[in-house]
Amino acid sequence: MENQATMSEFDSILASRGVSRRSFMKLCAGIAAAAGLSPLAVPRVASALEESVIGATSGDLYPVIWIEGASCTGCTESFAQVETPDVASVVLDLISLNYSETLSAAAGHSVEEAKAQTIKAGNYILIYEGAVLEAFDGNALRVAGEVGTTALVEAAESANAVVAVGSCAVNGGWMAAAPNPAQALGVQQYLEKVGVATPVVNVPGCPVNPEWVMSVLVDVVVMKDMDLLLNRLNDFNMPGDLFNQTIHDNCERRGHFENGEFVYEFGSEEEALGYCLYPVGCKGPQTRAMCGVTLWNNRRSWCVQAGAPCVGCCESNPHNPGDNWVEVNTPFYKRMRDLRIGPLNLQPTTIAVTVTGLVAAALVVHGFGMKASGRMDGGAPFEKIRKWDSKHPQQEIGTYADPVTGGPVLDEELVHKNADPRNND
Amino acid sequence: MAHLAHYREAHPLVFVITHWINLVAMVMLILTGFLIHFPFLPFLMGIARGCHLFFGFVLFFNCIARVIMAFFVKTSPTGGTRQQVTDYKTWLPQKDNRHQALEWIKYYLFLKKDHPLGAKLGVPQKISYLLIPVLIIVMFWTGLCLWGVTMNVPVFAATTNLVGGLMSMRIIHYFMMYVFIIFMFIHIYLANVEGFEPTKLMFIHKEHGGLVYDPDLHNIVGEDHDVH
Repeated sequence: MENQATMSEFDSILASRGVSRRSFMKLCAGIAAAAGLSPLAVPRVASALEESVIGATSGDLYPVIWIEGASCTGCTESFAQVETPDVASVVLDLISLNYSETLSAAAGHSVEEAKAQTIKAGNYILIYEGAVLEAFDGNALRVAGEVGTTALVEAAESANAVVAVGSCAVNGGWMAAAPNPAQALGVQQYLEKVGVATPVVNVPGCPVNPEWVMSVLVDVVVMKDMDLLLNRLNDFNMPGDLFNQTIHDNCERRGHFENGEFVYEFGSEEEALGYCLYPVGCKGPQTRAMCGVTLWNNRRSWCVQAGAPCVGCCESNPHNPGDNWVEVNTPFYKRMRDLRIGPLNLQPTTIAVTVTGLVAAALVVHGFGMKASGRMDGGAPFEKIRKWDSKHPQQEIGTYADPVTGGPVLDEELVHKNADPRNND
Repeated sequence: MAHLAHYREAHPLVFVITHWINLVAMVMLILTGFLIHFPFLPFLMGIARGCHLFFGFVLFFNCIARVIMAFFVKTSPTGGTRQQVTDYKTWLPQKDNRHQALEWIKYYLFLKKDHPLGAKLGVPQKISYLLIPVLIIVMFWTGLCLWGVTMNVPVFAATTNLVGGLMSMRIIHYFMMYVFIIFMFIHIYLANVEGFEPTKLMFIHKEHGGLVYDPDLHNIVGEDHDVH
């Protein structure tokens, strides 16, 4: 019977759950791609899943705490739409979501206790959604008697890593837009400030693309390899494979840009033809993200495909809350941001053209002055003597016909000396 | 006729050429820059981007070449003379200009009736010209921070973060173009308002007679009637 095909113990587990080997391998391929691995790594993913998750005999799920800071819950909503693997597989099979304000079934004291126990046990991932608010002593985010900043520090200190999901968590996002009364900032900057050394992984976006969060979780939760994740990070602690290229680099309308085919007005024929949205304020050329490749909503579409210019929601420097995407990208339908001068919001062109116009006007006025003073024909006559020389006859710079009243030293020989070509070095 | 004689030694042929390159490159950069900022002639977008890059490098390398040549080429230290010194000396403070900065400004503001005596480049003129290579290099640098090919090079990425992101960098690059435009307005105005002789010398190397100035006496010594 040795030459007969047998079913492995693992496959029978899959079969008992109604999963074919084929669909399991498809899941592995999806996870490998999500983790930024090559297709050659699919067997590695499969064995990792077999050993750690599905074939596990004891509870071996990776604990995750999901804390919401100053957020709109949009990132949670976005994450709840994920397809590869779907949210059920993630929440039920890959991770143990021990705490989430939005998704936890438990509430009140019991869920707070679950959080405390998870933190005490250690070896978990903290996902933080929304901005950190420093103002009001952290009271703006008071939950269960604990201020928001303390909750973050407590949960971050014992975590293996903190994943800052969404632009608000990365650098304050639109929470940090001027005048930023709540003193919003990003998780990484805040933790550095208070001296928590736990690595922070930044995944910007408004909301965050759930597939990007999955690709980060897969490294840690499925592959159990922290280095796999940390080696992907760029200078902003963002996965480089997701955030090193601009939207413009991978845009499906790039051909129209190169051809010089643009949309200047919404509702126009050019818009119907799907031309490039650059003149209507697309921030694709300056926003680093892979939206055009990953797509959104279960890989159905994305902003530009849907006809909207990129608003640059992934613009997020973790060390600079002022470089938040709303601050630097509004108005969304203009090519440049507004600049504030006192109470005024002005476009750079308005400011530059005004200043240039004032200079030009001043030159015109000056020209009338030149005309009136008769200087236009060769300029005014030269001064007889430098003012300083007339006041300091002992230290004169020039040699004059008269040391006090000045005047040119008329000398035919010197005229020839200076009018004939020669070197004098 | 009150101006000094305009001799070729003030602007040797090689600097006439670098000046021409500056003019063409700056005008092309400004025109293509506006086109890239907003594609009002969409069919030119691709060409504009190519030209913008090309002339950006031309302007930068021309600037570097001009600065290097200042240490080898000889030019007149003042107007109204054919005597020459190594060019860089005409960019340092010169005795002819000493104590004349305020006098120049007063002359421009009509607070002084007579034309100040001075070197080839008056004090405000020399300072503003010296800022041009700085401006060109900073402009080149900000351009490389924005260009897709170089934007991720660590030094350029660090500069972009320093100024607060790519949007700020774009606005700086854009505002600095207006600094060039304003400089050109003032430069063209002042170079021509007292007559076109300086322009003819700079562009077509045409000389013009006038008062003769001796750089050793730091004063006018007569008049040259032989050149017209």
